[in-house]
Amino acid sequence: MRSTWKKSLLLLICVLLVGGMLAACANKSDSNNSGSTNNSSTNNSSDTGGSSSSGGDSGDPVDGGTITLATFSDIVTVNPIFVNDTSSGDAVVFLMAKLYDLNREGLVTAEPWSIAAEEPIISDDGLTYTVKLKNYAKWSDGTPITADDIIFTVETIMNEDTGSPLIASFDKIEKITKIDDYTVEFKLSDVYAPFIYSLTFEPAPAHVLKGVPVKELQGHPYGKDVKTTVTSGPWVWKEWTQGQQLVFERNPNYWGEVKPKIQTVVYKIYADQNTEVQALLRGDVDHVSAIPVTANDAVKQDPNITLILEPGPQYEFMSFNFDGKNFPSGKSLFESQKTRQAIAYALDREGMIENVLKGTGILMNSPFLPGTWADPGDKATHYEYNPEKAKQLLAEDGWVMNEKTGILEKDGVPFSFELQYNAGNSRREQVSQVIQNNLAEVGIEVKTAGIDFSAWVEQNLNPGKYQAILLAWSLGNPDPDAESIFSSKYFPPDGQNMGWYVNKELDKLWEEGYKVTDQAKRTEIYHKIGEIISEDLPYVFLYRYGNAIGIGPRVHYAEEDAPEPSLAYGYFFHVINWWVE
Amino acid sequence: MGEYLIRRTIQAIVTLFLVTVFTFALIHLAPGGPTQVMIAPGVSPEAFEVQKRNLGLDQPVHIQYLQWMGRLLQGDLGTTFKNNLPVGDILWPTVGNTLVLMIAAWLVTLIIALPWGIYNSTKVYGISDQFASIVSYLGFAMPTFWFGIILQQIFAMNLKWLPLSDMWTYGKQGDIGDLVMHLIMPVTVLSLGFLASYVKYSRASMLEVLDQDYIRTARAKGVKESRVVFRHALRNALIPIVTILGLDLPILVSGAALTESVFNWPGMGRLFVSMANAREYSVLMAIVLVTSVFVILGNLLADILYAVVDPRVQLGRKGGGSK
Repeated sequence: MRSTWKKSLLLLICVLLVGGMLAACANKSDSNNSGSTNNSSTNNSSDTGGSSSSGGDSGDPVDGGTITLATFSDIVTVNPIFVNDTSSGDAVVFLMAKLYDLNREGLVTAEPWSIAAEEPIISDDGLTYTVKLKNYAKWSDGTPITADDIIFTVETIMNEDTGSPLIASFDKIEKITKIDDYTVEFKLSDVYAPFIYSLTFEPAPAHVLKGVPVKELQGHPYGKDVKTTVTSGPWVWKEWTQGQQLVFERNPNYWGEVKPKIQTVVYKIYADQNTEVQALLRGDVDHVSAIPVTANDAVKQDPNITLILEPGPQYEFMSFNFDGKNFPSGKSLFESQKTRQAIAYALDREGMIENVLKGTGILMNSPFLPGTWADPGDKATHYEYNPEKAKQLLAEDGWVMNEKTGILEKDGVPFSFELQYNAGNSRREQVSQVIQNNLAEVGIEVKTAGIDFSAWVEQNLNPGKYQAILLAWSLGNPDPDAESIFSSKYFPPDGQNMGWYVNKELDKLWEEGYKVTDQAKRTEIYHKIGEIISEDLPYVFLYRYGNAIGIGPRVHYAEEDAPEPSLAYGYFFHVINWWVE
Repeated sequence: MGEYLIRRTIQAIVTLFLVTVFTFALIHLAPGGPTQVMIAPGVSPEAFEVQKRNLGLDQPVHIQYLQWMGRLLQGDLGTTFKNNLPVGDILWPTVGNTLVLMIAAWLVTLIIALPWGIYNSTKVYGISDQFASIVSYLGFAMPTFWFGIILQQIFAMNLKWLPLSDMWTYGKQGDIGDLVMHLIMPVTVLSLGFLASYVKYSRASMLEVLDQDYIRTARAKGVKESRVVFRHALRNALIPIVTILGLDLPILVSGAALTESVFNWPGMGRLFVSMANAREYSVLMAIVLVTSVFVILGNLLADILYAVVDPRVQLGRKGGGSK
């Protein structure tokens, strides 16, 4: 008697709470919908207005002050040889100077804060890169930065025993020569145009690390111990309270001609992204580099916060597996090009961008980021959402509807496959459901499977064992070369062509693409690749996506120093010139 | 008493040993591993192998366990895989932070719950008693993270009376006033959860005792009601509560991962979540170990407190005599 009474009271309270929550959510989304377009436009204008007026001749940048940045995971190390995660990479932006930097267009440049003095000189045969260093760049302990540091860093990365994640970016180097203290010559074994992007690394200090055996480098305190970590950048490392924050102070002996304006940088670690957003809205934090899509609307409502909605340098795709071993019939369901095209027509990609990405996405038809020089644009085949066309193509390809099951069949094999993604990624979870529904409409059965990320990498991605996956590539540098993803030279487990895709014509073109250094010639080749690959579809290219950047009202920058979402770490683009008030 | 302690210590060591074997096996059985988390997908298998070799992960699990145990016996909790930092340096500050939060929440709970429960036991089904039931159900039913977010929205975002998260404002580390401001919301959330059970327990326990013959006798003798409650009943009613306090001690240490995450409290619960994601075996093992030690200590403490609260309880086998 009493216990039933208790239960019903409990139930009542639950209903009340849930009801209250629903009501609250409904209110929120209502007001968002009505005001979203207005808000975003005011946001944009207040941003450019604010920064250009203070950045122009009239308003001088303010010197000093503290900027608070937010992240949701702690750093691992700031030793550039081992940096492999976003938080550590963020810290390196402030602490370390690069040999070369990228400009807004994604081209390799010697900026005032780069260690190189001028753009690299490439020999006529495309094999030799000569790099000249500034002769006044210094480590934070006063030691000059010289050719020895450059050579030490590259050779250490190239040594397999080091275990550096950057090893692949230097595998084309045949020889490095020190011409003099401030000149280094890289000789390549083959012409490899994307190599120029490998020169945008941060050198590590040879005078600190030279004596350390390579196998012990990863365990060495350099990069983790605040006091002994010698740095080269505009800020120096002051504090690391693990799991809580890092603090950087302006380097009083900074060598660059352009000096940083912000005195103190606090890099705060939050438990998750939503907490970061709350802190941004409250003003505790001035900069959040990745706002979760679900919070876009809430941030938009705050007129003080600049929300930069452009997606970052990464794209999502659905990969088909061409290896028959992964299918019960012993034959891949995706062997025919027409079938793949039908699937592309059946998917409502615009709908995914609108509903799942909340607008933070751009359609993709090829593996090149829209708007970059390699992007084939209209030359690539565009698949608009057209289920009728999809059905027609499937019928032409020999798929027949089994009226009993409602699933297409060919030679007695039903068109049914498993689509894997990593569990917990809510974007992929939602997109996989859209794909499931879209394909059910044309008679294809999709079973979605969310798998724990690291287990997925180990058991499915690395060995290339799946039927179809939902995954993304993030492009660390703006070079379009993607041979290691699409060429049949790179089958699993050694390569990243995880779907076992073969296209001899493309294999050849990928190779040609990096064998010429002439920009015009390269552009032509990559446009051609985009044309072919968008027709042949080893993947269905879905969209370029990303997290919006949120910047609080205290942060200012001139227009030419505004964040550049299309570059890796572009949310701190030209941060040396930013100021706070 | 001495013999009793020795016996319990030996039991504790055996238990701890079994806990470590079991956890070590479980953690290593989980798919993926530190190398998978550390290296981006698609990197060549050789890179994995080099990493695994560097980290000693190419060894069989039982060898890894023995190596870990060997280091532990020398007082070494090991280092993290990803950056070779001593586990102790990461763990101990978070243990302290968690204790600050949990002890505050626990004290607040006891200060409210015990008097309230006692009062309710004297006015069963009165307004206060009914209200306590509602609060209890709320405490049980309401997800802590949700309640935490609601509090943040009201008191930090809208009213701006309280700081949103963290333990200290940057630059004010060590300022007690600042700490108290940061404690208010997480302590409220945690206390509401604890409160539910403690009000109920103290009320039920008091009711049971108040029903006993000797209380009736005391009342019959004409002893004042307040004296009956506080003098005669309370001491006996406290015994089961002490048990619960002892059993709850590990919660204090392991922390409330969710509450710590919502309020970005730099404690052990939050650390456990992030280290589990990174597959940092040595940190996870250390947290399990610390928590286990506290579970055992908590039980022991409860047993000893029995003897203090209730002279009839004797510790140890031969502990017959001295009355």
